[in-house]
Amino acid sequence: MPDNSSKRVLIIDDAALVRAYYRAALEAHGFVVGEALNGLEGLEKLLLEPFDLVIADINMPQMDGITFLRTLRSKELPVSSIPVLVTSTEAGPHDIAAARGAGANYYLVKPIKQETLAEYAAIFCGRPR
Amino acid sequence: MNEFLEQFLIESRDLVAQGTDDLMALAENPSDRERLDGAFRAFHTLKGAAGIVEFGAMTRTLHAAEDILASLRSSEEPINPDTLDEFLTCLDLTSRWLDAMQSAGEAPSTAEADADNMIARLVGSRGAAEVAHASAPGDDTWVGRLSVAAGSHFTEYRTALRYIPSPDAFFQGLDPMNVVAALPHLMTVDVVLTDPDVSLETMNTFNCSLEIVALMEAAGEQVRAALLNVPGKVEVRELASTAIRQSEEVQTNARSLIEAQLLVLQQSDVDRSVGRRASAGRTAVNALLYLGRSELAANVELAIATTKAENSPDPLIAAIEQALSGTGQPERHNNSPTAPVVPRALRVDMDRIDALVKLAGELIVVKNAIGHAAKLVHENEDPRAVIATLREQHALFERLATELQSAVLRIRVLPLRSVFRRFPRLVREIAVSVGKTVRFITEGESTEADATIVDALFEPLLHVLRNAVDHGIEPPEQRASAGKPAMGTLILRARRDADTVTIEVEDDGGGINVDRVRAVARARGIATAESLTAMSDAEATGLVFAAGFSTASTVTDLSGRGVGMDSVRTAVERLGGKVTLESQAGTGTKVGLMLPFSLMMTRLMTVEVAGQAFGLPLDNVVETTIVPRDRIVPIGAGRAFVLRDQTIPLIDLADTLGIQRTDTLSRSPAKVVIASAAGQIGAIEVDRLGERMDVMLTPMEGLLNGMKGVSGTTLLGDGRVLIVLDVEEILS
Amino acid sequence: MTIVLHDANTIRLIGTCPADDGEVLLQHLLANPQAEVDWRGCESAHAAVIQVILVSRRPLRGPPAGPFLERLIEPALRRAGCQVPPSPRGPEVRKR
Repeated sequence: MPDNSSKRVLIIDDAALVRAYYRAALEAHGFVVGEALNGLEGLEKLLLEPFDLVIADINMPQMDGITFLRTLRSKELPVSSIPVLVTSTEAGPHDIAAARGAGANYYLVKPIKQETLAEYAAIFCGRPR
Repeated sequence: MNEFLEQFLIESRDLVAQGTDDLMALAENPSDRERLDGAFRAFHTLKGAAGIVEFGAMTRTLHAAEDILASLRSSEEPINPDTLDEFLTCLDLTSRWLDAMQSAGEAPSTAEADADNMIARLVGSRGAAEVAHASAPGDDTWVGRLSVAAGSHFTEYRTALRYIPSPDAFFQGLDPMNVVAALPHLMTVDVVLTDPDVSLETMNTFNCSLEIVALMEAAGEQVRAALLNVPGKVEVRELASTAIRQSEEVQTNARSLIEAQLLVLQQSDVDRSVGRRASAGRTAVNALLYLGRSELAANVELAIATTKAENSPDPLIAAIEQALSGTGQPERHNNSPTAPVVPRALRVDMDRIDALVKLAGELIVVKNAIGHAAKLVHENEDPRAVIATLREQHALFERLATELQSAVLRIRVLPLRSVFRRFPRLVREIAVSVGKTVRFITEGESTEADATIVDALFEPLLHVLRNAVDHGIEPPEQRASAGKPAMGTLILRARRDADTVTIEVEDDGGGINVDRVRAVARARGIATAESLTAMSDAEATGLVFAAGFSTASTVTDLSGRGVGMDSVRTAVERLGGKVTLESQAGTGTKVGLMLPFSLMMTRLMTVEVAGQAFGLPLDNVVETTIVPRDRIVPIGAGRAFVLRDQTIPLIDLADTLGIQRTDTLSRSPAKVVIASAAGQIGAIEVDRLGERMDVMLTPMEGLLNGMKGVSGTTLLGDGRVLIVLDVEEILS
Repeated sequence: MTIVLHDANTIRLIGTCPADDGEVLLQHLLANPQAEVDWRGCESAHAAVIQVILVSRRPLRGPPAGPFLERLIEPALRRAGCQVPPSPRGPEVRKR
């Protein structure tokens, strides 16, 4: 039986416009959204509040997506197994392999349409829209 | 998409300004790596922002520029001046697109053609040797070519690929044909030569010079996985999906996500594996739940535990592979975004908002105190105590109201930098186009002024600057023979004195040729020969501001509009300011624009006419006086009188504004207010003169907007509406 | 023998043509300016061979035997300007 309670998504991206754009897409589909500006903030948020999915950009100042993933996955905590969807402007196979190697579960190339983002979030969270 | 348009416009303008800054610095110092990085980041972020608002033409143009910047960064070569110019032109084009989006809410119809043009220019500036591909790197014309190839089936495909094998692919033992043949769900392929001029006689069969594009039904992730270890240039694009295939696509996305987890599991290394494997398991479980396959999901869930216990990914891999033979029927609904109009927006310092919030709080305290005082009166308390309280609160209120006014005004102010920063580039261009060399200096760009003024200053200042470069500064040879340095100096300077912001454009050119001005003025009928002789040189020089005056024999191509100084003066006066001009033959010219610091406060003189209260901006009032009736004589359709040898027309305000006259001509002397605007002078007969006041003008809206002669309204203390007159319109 | 000069007007591609066949094909084409390429017997061809066919712009007699070539590469070559007489089966059929 699918779980219909509100799913929580953490968006990690240093661009305010992108965060606003993703937030709007996700909230319109009933997700509860948290935001962080970089990997470091993202880790802090994850340790404080429960989330069902992380959507993280690769290129961020302070701590980028790859470092965030490596740090996250190396911890022996429940939060280390949270699904992570990585976003990036780069489309090369080596970039994708690098993200996967660091622990990403999927990779989408920007620009990402709001519909696409909401759909993948729904799939990741196990909740039909 | 359009709710982001406002934020997009603000951020993009910022980025354009930053990028221009970096490029201008690079022009001075082409090997400045930091500036190159800065320019790259600006273009990169702009491109991303364009992607979010789905402005395709802007995305691909900036992508082309970004690619060039990326290769410059990695190759350590200095930027060549032609390419730098094209980058600046690209930012200019972006600014124009932003302007169009601001006013129309969408990109202009010429955007695609503009983009093609700009991309061609960018690529062309690099020289033919660097362009080795069949189409410009980074743009999407190859996707367009594919759509031609695929015909009506194009919209059914999900992913497009452009694959350019490395030239030595054959030597590496690779067969690009095999790579293509192995692509998942391959529907259409196109193969072209990267060098169209090659012939059988000149070709090298061991070098690979092919460009392959393909359309597939597979998801982008699968395609990329298939191309994982393939050398060469690989670009994968997800294509827009259509309504027809949405339900299939959703299923395919879920499957694609599950398949991707297999890759994650296969790639896990010993440390960091626990979190990673469990995340892959969770993702697969959720995707299966999404597809409605709860039993399969339960199996995978069990396998997560087994994998952890055995410390091996195999149980989970097996469970997922088993689950992948399932299908689901999810439903899907669509939101269509609406397109609101784009309001004008302003970037505001949070501190200024906080100041407002604090004031609002204090005002509420005063409000309560006054309310309390009213209550005391009602309860017949000692009036002296109440009076004291009221006085005290009123004083407090007055202070707060003044602070509030000034806090609100501070929100509207911006540093002039935002308009000044567009000029260095433009001045350079103008100078180049007229064959002059000019050193351009800006001073005082942190001076602040009201946002409306800052916005409105661009065009007038551009006119003035263009005139200075075009007509003020002499050609280098002429300067040399006059003993001046060949390079002219042009200074744009701003400063604030109390309530006025003064902007000056000063050049060390040849100054204004007064004789020529007199000649042109006579030729264009702006002034009679006698008045010209009577005028001092300073007054004659001021004629350049007269309507219809322009000594330019050609209009320079930069704006295509008239370059008359009269348009400058009109624009400045419309903002409540004034223009000054100082010139010395042989030494130079200085044009001054004096503007009110904030637009909203206007100094008024109130008058009563035909029972109605009006306000006259004090700036327009020359004097008030009394004129005996017999000195008022009919002239043409109107009346006039002579004052100190000057004939002054008498305006019938009631007639001009279309309001009812209450009484006919009286015998007592007329009270008149003599007003002037835009060089015109006139007198208005009033019934009564009122006091002077500073007011905040409310802009006209609705029906009153088109009313001639009225520039705004304000509320008087007794609740009456005061109509503020537009003196220029009344006098014309 | 994967590249065969049948006569002055025909160069045949047979079976699986490897990378080196690109050079062989080129030499035949240069020596026989009137020759067209007949790849009806061709199962698969290395990209080097396809490249030569593209540059040559000679008439290309097909359809090639190999399914990948027939379904995807032959139409691509036609669009690129090689003179490919239309396949007797009609326009290419999209297989799902």
